[in-house]
Amino acid sequence: MALSAQQRPGLRAALWMLPAVLLLLITYFVPLLDVLTTSVTEPRPGLNNYAGLLTDTGAQRIILTTLRISLTATLIAVGLGYLVAYAMVTGSPRRRVVMFACVMVPFWISILVRTFAWILLLRTEGIVNNGLITLHLIDDPLDMLYSETGVLIGTVHYMVPIAAMTLYGQMEGIDQRLITAARGLGAGPVFAFRTVFLPLSLPGIAAASVLIFIGGIGYFIVPALLGGGKTLMLAEYIGLLITTTVNWGLGTALATVLVAIVLMLLFAVSRLVDIRRAFGST
Amino acid sequence: MVVAPKRRVLPVLAWVVLLFLLLPCILVVPVSLTDTDYLAMPEQGLSLRWWHTLFASPEWMVALGQSLGIGLAATAIAVSAGTLCAIGCWRARNRWSALVRALILVPMIVPTVVYALGLFRVYAKVGLLDSFTGVILAHAALALPYPVLTVGAALTNFDPRLEQAARNLGASGWQVLRLVTLPNLKAGILSGAIFAFVVSWDELVVVLFIAGRRVHTLPRQIWSGIRENLDPTIAAVATLLIAVTLLALIPVLRGSRTAPKEA
Amino acid sequence: MSERQPEALLLDGVSKAYGKTWVVDRVSLTIPGGSFFSLLGPSGSGKTTLLMMIAGFVTPDGGSVRLGGRDLTPVPAEKRNFGMVFQGYALFPNMTVGENVAFSLRVRGLGRAERDARARAALDTVHLGGFEDRFPKQLSGGQQQRVALARALVFEPAVLLLDEPLSALDKKLREGLQAELREVQRRIGKTFVCVTHDQDEALSMSDRIAIVRGGRIAQEGEPDDLFENPASHFVADFLGESNFLAGDLTPAAEPGLLRWHAGATGLVQAGQPSQAGPALMALRPSKIAIASGEPCGMPNRLPGIVTGSSYRGTAIHCRVDTPAGPMSVSLPSWRAPFNPEPDQRVWLSWAPDAAVIVTDDRA
Repeated sequence: MALSAQQRPGLRAALWMLPAVLLLLITYFVPLLDVLTTSVTEPRPGLNNYAGLLTDTGAQRIILTTLRISLTATLIAVGLGYLVAYAMVTGSPRRRVVMFACVMVPFWISILVRTFAWILLLRTEGIVNNGLITLHLIDDPLDMLYSETGVLIGTVHYMVPIAAMTLYGQMEGIDQRLITAARGLGAGPVFAFRTVFLPLSLPGIAAASVLIFIGGIGYFIVPALLGGGKTLMLAEYIGLLITTTVNWGLGTALATVLVAIVLMLLFAVSRLVDIRRAFGST
Repeated sequence: MVVAPKRRVLPVLAWVVLLFLLLPCILVVPVSLTDTDYLAMPEQGLSLRWWHTLFASPEWMVALGQSLGIGLAATAIAVSAGTLCAIGCWRARNRWSALVRALILVPMIVPTVVYALGLFRVYAKVGLLDSFTGVILAHAALALPYPVLTVGAALTNFDPRLEQAARNLGASGWQVLRLVTLPNLKAGILSGAIFAFVVSWDELVVVLFIAGRRVHTLPRQIWSGIRENLDPTIAAVATLLIAVTLLALIPVLRGSRTAPKEA
Repeated sequence: MSERQPEALLLDGVSKAYGKTWVVDRVSLTIPGGSFFSLLGPSGSGKTTLLMMIAGFVTPDGGSVRLGGRDLTPVPAEKRNFGMVFQGYALFPNMTVGENVAFSLRVRGLGRAERDARARAALDTVHLGGFEDRFPKQLSGGQQQRVALARALVFEPAVLLLDEPLSALDKKLREGLQAELREVQRRIGKTFVCVTHDQDEALSMSDRIAIVRGGRIAQEGEPDDLFENPASHFVADFLGESNFLAGDLTPAAEPGLLRWHAGATGLVQAGQPSQAGPALMALRPSKIAIASGEPCGMPNRLPGIVTGSSYRGTAIHCRVDTPAGPMSVSLPSWRAPFNPEPDQRVWLSWAPDAAVIVTDDRA
């Protein structure tokens, strides 16, 4: 018998999804695919841009710098974030609420504002230097900004709230009674933590680290503002290739490589860990 | 509660980390009230002069207005499309809806600069460079995942029998949505809208590539300010933005404790 | 209240498949207009799918649903004008009780004053007058159920469908509401179709019951008929308790009787010569008499040893090992002839028509 659209719930539901899917396909995926196609068509069709990357030591150095800085920042941020998350999970409800607010506020403040604040702090005439000089701890201002150190500080500052919230969400799922049981069996607090809690939180740490690392290698704003042109990371370099030297071929090739790295890492994580549990919701 | 290792050391360390997080944000405020001519902490007293400069400056006010307008428009699109999509995925509950949900999350994962590249070329071809429409559409796409996630989360607590009951009582598809489904998703829609607005409001990378003379959003203005003209007006802008962020956070914090995380 | 005789609801060979499984398999049912009809069965039997097909939420893969002469199959759920009480009640949490009840009138375009008046009247009939401004979460389970009922009846539907309406309530409340539902149905005279897995509920409320199993109707009829004359092992076991006796039936000299043997004892069973052969008989524990001495005059009597007994308030249940196998016997505890003790030697007896020959559908 003929069924109208009303009687086929699957079809109706598909219609609801249509506007979002269309918006995404046209406004997001078309440009994304354009990057890929440009990398193999500009300036000449073929894989020349990618071949060129194999010999372009400058680009390779930038890629390695990006990976290195992101990795270092990720490790520091996950460590600090774990500290905060654990303090939240083992604290009183009041402490939890206050700490959560303290993590949420910087998380939501614009990255530009936060980076600007670090410029304020780390400049040679900035607050930190002025403070240290006033306290007669140093004579000449320290050169903290516009270097790898600056980028590292800014990146870590951006990553910690993400790490803290992700890890907290994951830790909430760990049954606290297991620690109590271990203590009841005679384990000291450090031992109980090390042998019971830490292993259980390891999958969450692994998943959070990979996801934060993936984010880190794509950062544009923080490295651009705090790197001062001396520390170039991949995203800014790609931008320069397009806006300054108008090298579409190399730029899009690097962009594609970046996305490929992200997707491969994502795939690796999904194989090893349930992503949804790492996100803590849904 | 559970005993933590190093009972007193741990919270202290955690508070130090939190101080590290909060200090930069807090220090911006006094700098915005500085009486000096340059970017520094106040020396002799507080002054509102940089705030006056901010509100009297046509560039900053225009940028503010543009960001507001683009943000509202992009949010409207993202929330409408996203809410309908989340409801559709929830009703269908099959392989396709799972695929759609995965697709929707892509903008959160792919580095924005890659998207901005492609957008530049595509917009150049269709003449959308430096246009409000272009930026609004791009921001809508970037913001889309958030309402989908928040409304999707709200839907897990929504009893499908409520929609059935409404249909059984004679309501048409549109009436079911308007009278039963959407009212019960209010919290999810609101937090999705707030997240979406913040995405557009803070967005810089795409705007850097596809906007020029006409479209000059607030982040763009801040970016230029930091690179070219570093003065306390920016501190005032920063303080304003922090205040607005805090205001926007209140309904979100009151609603749920877990927010969707950005990659 | 309509003056017309309510129309019969017809299910004509309806089927529904999910994947490769036929959840409903060519079911044909006539639900008489104005009756309280129950679909009774275990979970997964397909009874809820049947109800959903009547409601219009599930489209049959075959067959049709008819009201009177009209084919309802292509009619969408929102146009069928059937009332429905959902499991869990599905009261809209964002609306007051009054708004919930008036919802059907609102989507039909009635004005506010008339909606409110009729909603109030509907709530009065379920004894919840004055609750209009409360919210569902402020109400108890029993009250929510009554609001759901009022909401389903306010627009005077032709048929009321109920999906396990009392399953969320505790025993005492359930029994009270069973009686209320029955009374409401009798008063307004509409057809009620009720899905339940609780046989006591079905037996007490219904005019007719259809027992659903594996997507098919195992047996359909009036409650006492189903209980007294189950057609199959499944029905005999599902409705109440039964002992099952397997025997080879041969025609007896007396008309209407058949003979069979359990060990050394000859037993008699009511039945026709056509039912001779290997057979399964269902015998309810309450229809077996138990005594310490051998009863005279009862054609069916078996010796046995009590292996256990439990006190159930109104009755005592005991297990007895007999030549025909272990059997359950139930005797009223008030002024029981004697108290069965374990290892006691007893005699069981029953009338020839106490047991029923049933088809063996044990898969």
